[in-house]
Amino acid sequence: MAAILEIQHVSKFFGGLAANSDVSFEVELGQILGLIGPNGAGKTTLFNCITGYYPPSKGEVVFKGVRINGLQPDQVCRLGMARTWQKVRPLAKMTVLDNVMVGALLRTHSLRVAREVALEQLRIVKLEAKAEFLAGGLPIGERKKLEVARVLATKPELLLLDEVMGGLNPAESDEIIELILDLKKLGLTQVVIEHDMKAIMRLSDRIVVLNSGEKLAEGLPKEIVTNKDVVTAYLGEGADA
Amino acid sequence: MGAKMPGNSPAPYRFFPGFTWPTFGGWVAAIALLAVVPLFVKKPSLLHMWIMVFLAVAQGSAWNVIGGYAGQYSVGHAAYFGIGAYTTMMLLELHQIAPWWGLGLAILNAVILSVVIGAITFRLRGPYFVLASIAVAEILRLAVLHWKDFTKGAEGILLSGIPPLKLTETFSIEFIGKKPFFYASLALAVIVVAANWIVQNTKLGYYFQAIREDQDAAHSLGISPTLHKSIALAISAGFTAWAGALYGLYVKFIDPNLVIGLEVSVGMVLICIIGGIGTILGPVIGAFVLTLLSETLRNPKWLVQVGMFDSESPIIAFIQQRLSNTHVLFYGILVVIVILFAPDGILGLFRNAVARLRKRLQRGAASAEGEA
Repeated sequence: MAAILEIQHVSKFFGGLAANSDVSFEVELGQILGLIGPNGAGKTTLFNCITGYYPPSKGEVVFKGVRINGLQPDQVCRLGMARTWQKVRPLAKMTVLDNVMVGALLRTHSLRVAREVALEQLRIVKLEAKAEFLAGGLPIGERKKLEVARVLATKPELLLLDEVMGGLNPAESDEIIELILDLKKLGLTQVVIEHDMKAIMRLSDRIVVLNSGEKLAEGLPKEIVTNKDVVTAYLGEGADA
Repeated sequence: MGAKMPGNSPAPYRFFPGFTWPTFGGWVAAIALLAVVPLFVKKPSLLHMWIMVFLAVAQGSAWNVIGGYAGQYSVGHAAYFGIGAYTTMMLLELHQIAPWWGLGLAILNAVILSVVIGAITFRLRGPYFVLASIAVAEILRLAVLHWKDFTKGAEGILLSGIPPLKLTETFSIEFIGKKPFFYASLALAVIVVAANWIVQNTKLGYYFQAIREDQDAAHSLGISPTLHKSIALAISAGFTAWAGALYGLYVKFIDPNLVIGLEVSVGMVLICIIGGIGTILGPVIGAFVLTLLSETLRNPKWLVQVGMFDSESPIIAFIQQRLSNTHVLFYGILVVIVILFAPDGILGLFRNAVARLRKRLQRGAASAEGEA
């Protein structure tokens, strides 16, 4: 299978601190890759390196065969890689529909077309009833959905989801899981950062585990749960697996 | 995007989200009414008021593009106002080049300056950007003040006359008296307000507002913040320079403090804050309020001329003796009031009142139905 994204020996240093060090893995086209690790493992930093917010200190990021480190976030998005934010970033004083239209306008100059595309995305995340509400007034569950609809509107080929289930109740989480699986059926490749182990096991085709900025393990979900290093990283030395 | 009332069902489809025939008709009617004002108002001091209001509308609306929509609070727009005024006046008075060419060059200069300033200052965010914008305008003011051979420095430039604008061999416009400036400033105000409308209802406006709301989120959605902030600033600077040029030609005298002073920059910001920032109508309202206030305090005679007071009235005497040149004090008080009680400006206050009234009426109707 072809890799849509290749992370090759990526390191990111902040001063002397290595937030990521020598991380390598590939994301296969059409699959969901789960990215897990304890707090501070460098998951979000890696997302920032991939999407152009930080230039990697070392290593290469290759998307669709093109080296993209050094590109700005807007250029990365234009190439077809979009990300959501762990801390949601609604455009508060604009309506839900306008928020999604901002994403859709990447691929068109026509507000009319953008509006159609945006409404379609709102239907996909089941938020169309709130189209005319101000984004700043939405509860957290709906803000997360808005975040997803907005990036979907940019028509990505690869979606990076940074803890879209954080802060949601179980019913809301289930909705998001269904949504991610639906998007996979539509052929969208996704990288998912998540803390909820049950969710990540259900979603992922492969899992990469980060710990202290380094890649600790990589494999199928069932391999990861029985991996001794992973268990140690999560539960500490001497824990009974 | 117009008024958004949470709780409404999705709005019906419109080609431009902001376009409705009643609104458009309202604007056309208002412009037509303003255009016939000189037929009824003959007194120069009253026409002067209108001209100052139109220039303020143009300035406020021009600032609104970068400050209101793109959310970059430039407090250095006097740089563009000044460069507009100085380019036109210097070309006309010192080099005998007609202001029609001077105006074009003034706008071009301002746009070029804005690109340079933008490249330097748009790396900064929030209060740092504000401080940098003030600094840039002050540098320009001091340069104009001290480069006497080129700009005549503190002496300023006094205009001896404006050549008539020859449109055809037989038809030409003489720029004598207030009337030509009334129409020139009205036209400018209409053009800048229309530009605001276009910005608000195109992709550009969506991108500007996305940057205002959250620059990092906008960046991740494929928007280049630096590019779009520069576009917003260029539009804003061009119109500001146009207003500056017209101001110079109308007043016929400029000096560095008058057209590049901090008061010019602050005035443009206040028009928007008081009227309603990031809206089309807000700067128009703000311009009326602030201009009437400052012109009244400067010279309250117009109140006599419109018949509100007679010339012996103690109020007129009080304003003249005690309150002349206190307009800055009143600006300050007004800003405090607006920030405390109407953070979305006068327009926001008005919209909230309408929304509340509508809700009350709906509730009234609903409860009446329930009882029946």
